[in-house]
Amino acid sequence: MTNSNMTCEAFDAALPNYLEGTLAEPLRTTVAEHLSECVRCASLVRDLEKIQRDAAALPDLVPSRDLWQGIEARIAAPVIPLAARPERQRRFVPAWMGIAAAALIVSTAGITYTLTARSFQKGGSAVASVTPPTPQNNQTQSTGGSDSGATQNSTTATPTDIEATNPQRGGGVSRIARSTAPETRVGTPARLASQGEESEVVYGREIDMLQKIVTQRKSQLDSSTIAIIERNLRIIDAAIEQSKTALAKDPASRLLSDQLTHALDKKVELLRTAALLPAST
Amino acid sequence: MAAVSNTVRVPMGDSADVALAAAGDRQAFERLYRTHANRVFSICARMSGSRVRGEELTQDVFVRTWEKLPQFRGESAFSTWLHRLAVNVVLNARKSEAKQASRTEESDVENDRRDEMSRAPLHIERMDLKDAIANLPDGARKIFVLHDIEGYKHEEIAEMMGITSGGSKAQLHRARLLLREALER
Repeated sequence: MTNSNMTCEAFDAALPNYLEGTLAEPLRTTVAEHLSECVRCASLVRDLEKIQRDAAALPDLVPSRDLWQGIEARIAAPVIPLAARPERQRRFVPAWMGIAAAALIVSTAGITYTLTARSFQKGGSAVASVTPPTPQNNQTQSTGGSDSGATQNSTTATPTDIEATNPQRGGGVSRIARSTAPETRVGTPARLASQGEESEVVYGREIDMLQKIVTQRKSQLDSSTIAIIERNLRIIDAAIEQSKTALAKDPASRLLSDQLTHALDKKVELLRTAALLPAST
Repeated sequence: MAAVSNTVRVPMGDSADVALAAAGDRQAFERLYRTHANRVFSICARMSGSRVRGEELTQDVFVRTWEKLPQFRGESAFSTWLHRLAVNVVLNARKSEAKQASRTEESDVENDRRDEMSRAPLHIERMDLKDAIANLPDGARKIFVLHDIEGYKHEEIAEMMGITSGGSKAQLHRARLLLREALER
């Protein structure tokens, strides 16, 4: 306590603003008076002002090593420019070719629909199947041979998958079909084989027609697009062949049957897409 | 490149290198690094309280500078812009470190030990101001460095650190008192 009527505690409270130079009158005068009389507070202010001065005068620090190499390595990460799209020459494509392609697509789709609808009337949905390889099983042998692939219409119909008994395999499964029709267990192997032939014809006809369209359109399409289509067709054909072979060995496999149907569908889908592709510009 | 050099207005000395570096010239950027490395390192090391961490952060600052340089429009001196960027990098690094540390107790202990080691004074007999600053609590140290060494105002510090101006003043005063205590020992 001093004659300035300011306690050291009050001084301490005012000190931050005093050091900042933001202390307003008359408090500033009171603080100044207190400082002139109080050794403890005067010493404190002296020390703190020295710290401020010394801090402001601190020299720059120097890193212990050259940091540039690390920085350069990080900023020098290669940026791979995207290849510019090659300028392609615009070619004239007669309108009639596009119309003809569309007409062919419509006709093949119509044929597929007609045949499939007929099959549905017979009582099932189209699936791919092959006949079992056993020569004794005359009823299930299809005209395509033991490893031939085809779709057929199921006369068996359950909400889930249906199994038809193969008497030659001790009550085993001869084929699998998918259907959403009401539950019945009909479908003899002979009938299934004939449906398989019919489906094979449907898929075969569709694929043939679409392939003709795609062949005719090759000159209109980009060579890289054609290469991709052909590569994908080879993959699908390989999958079809593998599915047929596997299904011939295990005709009861639902998975294989589905795989074959799926592969045939994919082939038709790809060919349709290719047939409808716009001409390259 | 021309667009960059037309729009960037910087003080003489750095201006050409800033424009070149903004356009992707790494040699110009290296010259900028050589000019400002010590200053940036000082900010990073003092704010983090560790020379080792300061070196890591300095590299981060210059990588970030390289990325952001095309956005520099010369509205302030390049050095001012760079130092502000350095402060932000240190503050953001601390935030992410704190998040990471809160996720794993083990890393927390490890960080504390590393911090203690990096802040340990090199000479026991008498602690100098540099060491005393390094030993300050994290928040107080940052505010002291920003205000008393780097010359930022309380309003600027408050904005950068997401605190109030009054909070910055209080932390600064605390830092000065702690330094006095440390230097008197």
